[in-house]
Amino acid sequence: MAELKDLVRQWLESGRVDLFLGYKEVAGHPLPYAFSRDNLEEVAELMVSPARYPLEKLAANILKARPGLRIGLLARDCTRRAVNVLTIYNQVEPGQVELLDLSCCPSRPQVSCSALTPPEVGEVKRALGLDNRLTPEQFEAIPAPERLGRWLYEFQKCLKCYGCRDICPVCFCRECSLEHGELVEPRDLPPEVPMFHWVRAVHMAGRCIDCGLCEEACPVDIPLRLLYRQTNRIVRELFGYDTGLTLTQPPFSVLGVGPAEPREAAGKGR
Amino acid sequence: MYKLVPSICSYCGTGCGVLFEVLDNRILGTLPLKTHPVNEGRLCLKGWSLHEYVESDMRLTGPYLRINGRLHQVTWERAIGFAARRLTEIVDRYGPDSVGVLASAKISNEENYLLQKFARAVVGTNNVDHCARL
Repeated sequence: MAELKDLVRQWLESGRVDLFLGYKEVAGHPLPYAFSRDNLEEVAELMVSPARYPLEKLAANILKARPGLRIGLLARDCTRRAVNVLTIYNQVEPGQVELLDLSCCPSRPQVSCSALTPPEVGEVKRALGLDNRLTPEQFEAIPAPERLGRWLYEFQKCLKCYGCRDICPVCFCRECSLEHGELVEPRDLPPEVPMFHWVRAVHMAGRCIDCGLCEEACPVDIPLRLLYRQTNRIVRELFGYDTGLTLTQPPFSVLGVGPAEPREAAGKGR
Repeated sequence: MYKLVPSICSYCGTGCGVLFEVLDNRILGTLPLKTHPVNEGRLCLKGWSLHEYVESDMRLTGPYLRINGRLHQVTWERAIGFAARRLTEIVDRYGPDSVGVLASAKISNEENYLLQKFARAVVGTNNVDHCARL
């Protein structure tokens, strides 16, 4: 930990980054915290938090308003995968974000990650729904028609809080199809089952980096991580594409390789 | 310049912990407070969109009074003076139980206390209810 703090101090002092997002205890809670040259003395309080926040999403939000900044992140493996995906989709530019890697292999003693504590699953959910701890292999051992029934049980609990989308580090669309009246009926609760969740699952193909934040944010414990893992499994098997591990374009990308041209600039040429 | 500010959701009486992303004194977004004992990292749709109403152009930031059928922004003094005069007229003419007070989950315990005190001690009615009793 002392080594980490020294590195963060070095990065800030040398100007390698202008802002460093890590964690610090505030009011008794481990919270994401922005360290900068103005509060260097606070780097001593940098910590690793078991509660995970989408630091890369916070960074992308800051960069939208202040594109000139360079931001350092305390990065788990999932953070690195997310930054790769955000770079592919032109949400952050290479060089805007620097990662300070934190090994998060469970065999390491310093590892602190909320994803390592499996949620408790009750009797009704075990009987009718899907245990959030199922591995893809265990899941596929369930006969297909039964699987569908179990998914529908999970989906009809949905409160439509959009928490899965809002916390997702790789959800950044300006117009979200989940709020499109033609696809998902507004007002209704529960949302149109299963359209709502399937729209999101399809969008997660080649994009989901399996961080599990959606599932942690879900108030009704829908096994979203399992759903998107299954989706991405198809992507891996059909296209040989491992989401987040490389900077190559996903098989479904219709975007160019550079950032979109600003609208004003595009207009001038005509 | 950039900070994350822990707070409590102002929508209902549950009291979920939230975290605001604040850049240059403007709220960019809301996150659930992962370690808060009440919501344990989850929020409802309203909690997730707290920043939208704080920064909304449609938000009322002062008192309005309907004069000749149209709303006009007025001073607090004038608004409270008008309300006091009309309430007194109504209580004098129809009795205290012609008035009801609607309290709110969006204000503090202390403000709610004052509101029921106002209803009981000033107006003289027990007609006190709350927006969360749907």
